Amino acid sequence: MAQEAHGALHDLLAVRGVSRRDFLKYCGSVAAAIGLSETMAPQVAAALEGAPKLLPALWINGGSCTGCTESIAQVDSPDVATIVLDYLSFEYFETIMAAAGTWAEENITKRVAEGGYIVIYEGSVMTGQDGNTLFVGGGPNNEGAKKGIDILKEVASNAVAVIAVGSCAVDGGWVMAHPNPAKATGVAAFLQKEGITTPVVSMPTCPVNPEWVVAMVVQLLLVADRDPAKFLELTQWVKYTYHDGVTDQDVTLTLPKGIYGQSIHDNCPRRGHFENGEFVTELGSKEEAMGYCLYKVGCKGPQTYTQCPVTRWNRSASWCVNSGAPCIGCGGLNWVDNNAPFLKRLSDIQFDGFLGMGNTQPGHIGAAVGGAVAVGLVAHGLGMKAAGRIGDGPPMEEMKAYDRKRMAKKGGDK
Amino acid sequence: MARTVVDPVTRIEGHLRVEVEVTNGKVSDAWVSGTLWRGMELVLQDRNPEDAFWVSQRICGVCPISHSHASAQSTESALGITIPNNARIIRNLIEAAQFLHSHILWFYTLAALDYVNPVNALSANIADTYALAQAAGTRIADFGAVATRLKGFVENGQLSIFTGHEGWFGVGAEKHPGYVLPPELDLIATAHYLEALELQAVAAEIIAVMSGKFPHHMTSIPGGTAFVPTEQKLDDILFRFTRVKEFIDTALIPDTLAIAPYILGAASFGGGCGNFLSWGVFEAEDFDPYKRYLPRGFIQTSKGLTAEKVEATDVNEYVTHSWYSSPSGLNPAEGKTEPAWEPYSTDGKYSWGKAARCKDLPAEVGPLSRMLVGYVNGVKPVKDIVDFALGKLSAAAGATLEPTVLVSLLGRVAARNLEAAVVAGWAIEWVNELIAAIKGGDSSYFVTERAEAGKGVGLWEAPRGSVGHWMTVENGRIANYQVVAPTTWDISPRDEKGVPGPMEQALIGAPVVDATRPLEVMQVAHSFDP
Repeated sequence: MAQEAHGALHDLLAVRGVSRRDFLKYCGSVAAAIGLSETMAPQVAAALEGAPKLLPALWINGGSCTGCTESIAQVDSPDVATIVLDYLSFEYFETIMAAAGTWAEENITKRVAEGGYIVIYEGSVMTGQDGNTLFVGGGPNNEGAKKGIDILKEVASNAVAVIAVGSCAVDGGWVMAHPNPAKATGVAAFLQKEGITTPVVSMPTCPVNPEWVVAMVVQLLLVADRDPAKFLELTQWVKYTYHDGVTDQDVTLTLPKGIYGQSIHDNCPRRGHFENGEFVTELGSKEEAMGYCLYKVGCKGPQTYTQCPVTRWNRSASWCVNSGAPCIGCGGLNWVDNNAPFLKRLSDIQFDGFLGMGNTQPGHIGAAVGGAVAVGLVAHGLGMKAAGRIGDGPPMEEMKAYDRKRMAKKGGDK
Repeated sequence: MARTVVDPVTRIEGHLRVEVEVTNGKVSDAWVSGTLWRGMELVLQDRNPEDAFWVSQRICGVCPISHSHASAQSTESALGITIPNNARIIRNLIEAAQFLHSHILWFYTLAALDYVNPVNALSANIADTYALAQAAGTRIADFGAVATRLKGFVENGQLSIFTGHEGWFGVGAEKHPGYVLPPELDLIATAHYLEALELQAVAAEIIAVMSGKFPHHMTSIPGGTAFVPTEQKLDDILFRFTRVKEFIDTALIPDTLAIAPYILGAASFGGGCGNFLSWGVFEAEDFDPYKRYLPRGFIQTSKGLTAEKVEATDVNEYVTHSWYSSPSGLNPAEGKTEPAWEPYSTDGKYSWGKAARCKDLPAEVGPLSRMLVGYVNGVKPVKDIVDFALGKLSAAAGATLEPTVLVSLLGRVAARNLEAAVVAGWAIEWVNELIAAIKGGDSSYFVTERAEAGKGVGLWEAPRGSVGHWMTVENGRIANYQVVAPTTWDISPRDEKGVPGPMEQALIGAPVVDATRPLEVMQVAHSFDP
């Protein structure tokens, strides 16, 4: 297929009926999602408009429920988002692509041979039953079928970068919860074991939040000019090292700090009620009608490090706590084992790690927090100083002093 | 006689493989495989029964609401909980929003490309397109702008999600003869494809307002709901339902009726096993599954178009042709899941799906089943819209069509869209029912009291069909958990008697005009929304 460069993005947008105003509005939401002020929209727009052509992308479904694909379909300002997602030329995307069977599989083969593409991987990496818990693409009597793990190796080997979207792709998600019957693992762990060194960005929550994926895509393709080295350099990351049981090795995950750097508790609109000791003690009660804190009914907000309260979900319609549901910590590692029972209080939680890493269960995760955590504000290659949010501002607190005192004194929520 | 394979079957949830044998231009045999196994039933063992609500919905990212509702009901039936009336209405509303989201997404985003050719739309005359839209009573869009947008997309040389299929649409190859719509109708449908992307998201926002987010929602916790509506939130829900209903009434239904006359041939194949199961969905005040808005029932068309009673004990699952070493033929209440891969063989084992059977028969599940059960039960809005659609189709066909014509590919496609219209009408009534209940002073949303042990089952309906969760609780922990998902029914492989599953039977007899490009196989597979 022809890959020649075509005109600037605004021509492309104009031809698709997108106004300049819509476009700037969109860029504002991208800026916010990657931790910039919305006043940065013109700079984001400039980066987008300078891009030469659609960048090929392969969206691969591993052991997935398709929920992350569903989530992407809920991205804000869909007209414009469609453009920007079209801005990626999705040559493989099982859930929405027109082609099927060998006609679809050929797209992978061709693209991998040509290179210059990114992979977005949804779902767990399925190693169980000798990798036969997922297979795709065989002929009659399944001759020539590929295991899911072999497809991942094939597409990752020549990619610019792999974005592991959703908790399943990050570390195996719910599928790897005890007893991990299908021997599920995460993309980073699997590729490390296979010796494939393509950069992997991990984006947990179940499903992934679509605005965050778009933000990372913009960051990689446009701000970093599709250069993986620049991408790694220009983005601030949170790094976690954990022990993966399936591949039996220590694995270091790389998460964008602008999205996964602060706890839900830090940014929760109900935080004031926590400070005031105003709690929902029974679900669906009159205290819930008053919007009190859900901590006593099991909210995992204090140990879960995502921007959910800021970005919210479904085009900002709501988010879990806003609708009366305690956070279940789906953005943490091994989130089911670490956070269930979901309605129990965090009386024994320690606030000494990210992603609930302080609340590990024996045999699952032994974690260390990487050095990048100590760095202050979300930083970004795109004029953070101009936005007045970096350089001279106070560092983000990794734990509120109030929590620390409270935990030390009472060991809980008293 | 030749074998043709479609793997992956794209534009579905999950991983599906279809292998067919084609003889003299028709499918003479078919094997359908689920090619992924994750082990949810085993992950849930020994956990708190309430936790299954959150975890089990992650079986399916397109129908998590229904899985979670079946799971919550299984916990509630095991532990002796009856949820408050307000919680019943709120769950109906969340479920309804998912039905509308799912049906819109299915028709336009997943299935339409089997019938609609966006490349052909480029030859549409814009003035004629407006005239056709007017005549069809379907929604007007800026068709000229859509055509320009489409042209820009096709000409930029990077076809994104159409890559690899352009030949079927007639770019650089001969167009597949199965694409038969006039260019003006292709353009209308393409315009609505784009608009549907917005409307499916609006429907999902309704779920988010009541339940935090979608997919994977948060509030229908066993015991009732954690969501307490405020005036603002009720308003947020009502206006969005109204918007979605308007799209269904002015685009989805007229588009279906406009396309149908061109594909009347699809009324003569794709029917399948002729057995239809509905567990029933949308709870009525008395919690009787036979009185749900879409009621429970089982139809064997070989005995005529009448519905009989059906219970959880009527289900069993065979693993003769599935990759399990656990005993075959168990009822899910005693079900076991022990995976055991061996090489794929259509004579032996060829699927991760078990063969679910109802009264020992393969059973189709989904909107067609629900609409048929609703129709024979005399559910008024169902009967009204089915009769209306049959009238339109009869006029197009020049013959009087009976309800049995619905047992076909065309019927299965139409039933889903007709159901969307019925559910949209009810959803608005239910918002008003909830407002009236709150005004009447009902402020109960959740009950906390529960037993420590028991056996339960939740039988419910997802947009794509019947879903059952079976749970045994001992000492406050899950001792056994089994799920029979909609797709378990529809894509089931052969059972121990060698009887093929519903999709396999629906494929057998389907024409394949071009064996190298089996469009009809995809049409039949997609019609189940697997």
